[in-house]
Amino acid sequence: MAEPIIQAVNISKKFKSKTVLEDISFDIMRGEFLSLLGPSGCGKTTILRMLIGIEQPTAGKILKDGVDITNAAPKDRNIGIVFQNYSLFPNMDVYHNISYALSAKKMGKEEIDKKVKEIIETVGLEEHIYKKPKQLSGGQQQRVAIARTLVLNPDVILFDEPMSALDAEIKVILRQQLKEIQKKLKITMVYVTHDQEEAFALSDRIMVLNDMRIIQMDTPYNLYHNPTDPFVKRFVVDHLDLKVKSIEDSIK
Amino acid sequence: MNTQINRAGRIIKHEYLRLISIGCILLFAILPLLTLAFHVTGEDWSYILQDATFWAAVKNSLIYTTAAAVTTTVLALVAAYLLNTSSLKRKNLFVILLTLGMLVPTISVGLGLRVLFGTNGFIDLLFGAEIEVRGFSGLIMGSVMTSFPATFLILYDALNYEDKGPYDAASIMGIGRLSTFFRMTVPYLKIALISAFFACFTLIFSDYGMPMEIAGKVSTLPMYLYDQFMSSFQYGRGSIAGFVLLVPSIVSFVFDLIFKDQSESEKQKKLIEAEKSFNIGTAVVITLLCLVLFLPQLAFISLSLTRAFPNDLSFTFEHIANIFSNTHGVGLTAYIWNSLSLSLLTALFGTAFAYLLGYLSVRKSGRMAKVVNLLALSTIAIPGLVLGIGFIFLFKGTNGYFYGTVLILVVVNIFHFLGSPYLLAKNCLSKINSDYEIIGETLGISKGQIIRNVLIPNSVSTLVEMFSYFFLNSMITISAVAFLCSYDNQPLSILITTYEKNSNYEMQSVISLIILFLNVVARTGFTAIANTLRNAEAKEVDGGIGLERHEFDFLTYLEKQGRGQYSLRKMADDLTISLNNVQKYLKELNDRNYINIFADGSIEISEKGLKALEPYRVRKAIILAAGFGSRLAPVTLDTPKSLVKVNGERIIDTLLDALVAKGITNITIVRGYKKEQFDALLEKYSTIRFIDNPEYNITNNISSAVCAADLIDRCYICEADLYITNPDVINKYEYQSNYLGAKVSETDDWCFKKINGAVADYQMGGTDCYQAFGISYWNSEDAEKLKADLRKVYASRGGKENLWEIVPLRIMKKKYHLEVRKCHKSDIIEIDNFIELIAADSSYAHYPGYEGFRVE
Repeated sequence: MAEPIIQAVNISKKFKSKTVLEDISFDIMRGEFLSLLGPSGCGKTTILRMLIGIEQPTAGKILKDGVDITNAAPKDRNIGIVFQNYSLFPNMDVYHNISYALSAKKMGKEEIDKKVKEIIETVGLEEHIYKKPKQLSGGQQQRVAIARTLVLNPDVILFDEPMSALDAEIKVILRQQLKEIQKKLKITMVYVTHDQEEAFALSDRIMVLNDMRIIQMDTPYNLYHNPTDPFVKRFVVDHLDLKVKSIEDSIK
Repeated sequence: MNTQINRAGRIIKHEYLRLISIGCILLFAILPLLTLAFHVTGEDWSYILQDATFWAAVKNSLIYTTAAAVTTTVLALVAAYLLNTSSLKRKNLFVILLTLGMLVPTISVGLGLRVLFGTNGFIDLLFGAEIEVRGFSGLIMGSVMTSFPATFLILYDALNYEDKGPYDAASIMGIGRLSTFFRMTVPYLKIALISAFFACFTLIFSDYGMPMEIAGKVSTLPMYLYDQFMSSFQYGRGSIAGFVLLVPSIVSFVFDLIFKDQSESEKQKKLIEAEKSFNIGTAVVITLLCLVLFLPQLAFISLSLTRAFPNDLSFTFEHIANIFSNTHGVGLTAYIWNSLSLSLLTALFGTAFAYLLGYLSVRKSGRMAKVVNLLALSTIAIPGLVLGIGFIFLFKGTNGYFYGTVLILVVVNIFHFLGSPYLLAKNCLSKINSDYEIIGETLGISKGQIIRNVLIPNSVSTLVEMFSYFFLNSMITISAVAFLCSYDNQPLSILITTYEKNSNYEMQSVISLIILFLNVVARTGFTAIANTLRNAEAKEVDGGIGLERHEFDFLTYLEKQGRGQYSLRKMADDLTISLNNVQKYLKELNDRNYINIFADGSIEISEKGLKALEPYRVRKAIILAAGFGSRLAPVTLDTPKSLVKVNGERIIDTLLDALVAKGITNITIVRGYKKEQFDALLEKYSTIRFIDNPEYNITNNISSAVCAADLIDRCYICEADLYITNPDVINKYEYQSNYLGAKVSETDDWCFKKINGAVADYQMGGTDCYQAFGISYWNSEDAEKLKADLRKVYASRGGKENLWEIVPLRIMKKKYHLEVRKCHKSDIIEIDNFIELIAADSSYAHYPGYEGFRVE
């Protein structure tokens, strides 16, 4: 845990004249589940886009295993991404969604088959191997999206608010599944969300962002018990307390 | 550092393509217009300004265009409203009939009117009433007919996107239809109405095909322009007329750019159906309108297919035959070929180019993307006539290479018709998830691969629509092509203008009819393709097309056997079908790509075949193992019956092994008696799950089935005490719900008869029947019924005393059609009492208390 896999050093990002991130630095540890939590527009998605390589920082650099990847192409970073709507290829079945990246690399057919079947088993989609995305439930689609990135053995998987469009009930189940997959594979996951509850339910550590800066980056326990900033107190602690209180009130 | 260069390289490639396409549009659409300006001299201006004929033409054009555009817009609004509001079933058919006019050149409509009304026209000859149609009346009538289809489609489309919720609310509140029409529909359509009016106006204003036939002495602006170019060779003056022609299109274009909202909002479908009287009224009005719109076509069809209208009305193909023959006619085949090849080439390259433009303008943002979009849209504003003359000026110098070849016709058509297909492509591509390219980048899949494997497969029906638009329009256009075609590559539509000059109505009619015929065939074909694609998509969501029984049997056989060289004889024997059928089915399955046949003669099931079998795959097994097994006492005093060992193996293991061997690992065991002993199974079978039946000792096994009822779906329901000697009694796939049985001549066990292939007369003991083995399969449909029926019976008085299978096989037997699945009696050994146990495993002869027990 102690060793960082990704280091962001003095990152700034400006779009034209608008500053989105102001000189931030952070480490992501190997194997951890890190959430980026903050209100809309705080720059969390921009961080994600810089990690994946579809956006470049205006200043500063990003290191992965000590190597500078600030300007590396997305495909050379070995980082996978799962989008909010999963973005599965609608015309391909589960199998081909997962195998596509391998066949694009001109890997042998048998090798692909072995690999894909293995991944499908890992995420528990054996029953749905020939289904199209439209025929799958939200949870199954999420697993396909994860499997699609897993097939390339990424070092890190990024999640861009993957559950924001779902029902509260389903969210809880999906969180569970996601956590199980992470435990099984011990892969580093970075998860962007604006949902305090979600961040607390999933994360080893949480990076709280607001107004272009990192406010606090800590374990859920420490964030709740030792908020270092009034914003954390307000945005995280008070919010969770309120939630607990409202539930208590309603069952009294 | 290296990666940085790569990234830069990729960006440039994208922008490069954009620059090329911008260049193309500038060269082939904008530059031709600019060239026109260079040919205008001051002298031309002063001439035009003083030229009375010019001003008369402008005035005439404005008069009949305004009159016709207003009429068309109102008519189209009424038709669109009626059709959209009604609950008629075959709305699409009416839409097709109303837009039939789009399939013929406008000049043919003029021709039809002349044949109908003119001196010696149908009406004159039939009723003796000569109506002078040439002039304003004809121009207005013809313009309404030619511009109606496009105007109607704009409004009908807009209405389809309207939220129908408020109409239902109004109708519940008792607000009348007329009131909602003026208070809701018209205000909603405001922008669309103005846009439709402008489009209609532009269409009429710049058309010169129809006026050619019907204008008579009235001079119109397009005709003035045509004369300046083709007769007086006054290119400067013609160009000025061209610019005037451009004005309404530019107004229309700018209006759409500013006001037309292309975003789609959530809309609710209409829930309250229209009254029957309204539907009938709509059907009558629309049918009448179709007939009126079809009159000109009817006229030229009649003229081409009767011997000598109206004196000799006998049907004949003579005119058509004549025009095809080289001696009397013109060798029409060559012209048909010209038209078809021109239209196909235009459609092919046009679709590709418009799709590329759509891609470049919406799939990646950037300043260049906006330029591409604006330029592509601006082509809508250029009348074909103006584009055509621009091409003459610009490309005259390329004579023989580009000018004068079929290539220039293809290019001018592509840019003339580019706007609408471009919009189709743009809308379609902007609806496809924008993250695919990013996903591709992270997965190392190139943009080209994403286009080929994701974007194009997801826009097939749009591509067909675009192709269709290019094709149909190229078949009927004369405006741009008229100036550019040579004697060798003249298409059919231009040939009509040739015969117009010498007033040969028969020839014109026959050619119009042929164009109509070809376009009807083409449009039917395109519609069929689009429908097939749509249905295929719908079917995919439903879970694939079902297999026929024989296909299922054949495929499961191959799936089980694996790749190998099979003799036809062996397959026929194994599948118990005739040799002929083996050959027939092999061919069928191969044609459908369900099997692969290799060069060495070996055969295997293909991936597609596996996919087709997938809906039939057995998903899980439910094993009912809660009971005590009293008849096997004393062994079962310590152990549940299914866990009793026979020949060193637990009875249930024979079943579990058979299931696992067929890939069925989702296994649920309902347990009750000595349930904790079942945990030992987990060592060997890690995937099984347990459900506990607390009522096992006070009810019959129906309670166990009810405990697991939620799970019943595409599954086996098995008894736990079957000692299976042939694991093939379990299949990987099942075609339909069934019950396993072995043919016997006599039994005192539970058995059933086979009537029409289905299980019947389930009872204890019988002769010449099937002995029932407790393994059954339930497909989704039957599973739903079974769940409900089990619960119903269970809840009824005394219902708990039943065996579960009594429910589908006796109590509710009419609701189920369970196939008899045959096995051999020796495949399963039923161990129902201690004697049978010793028969299966002689070691039990030494069981405490049973020493020396012998079986004869």
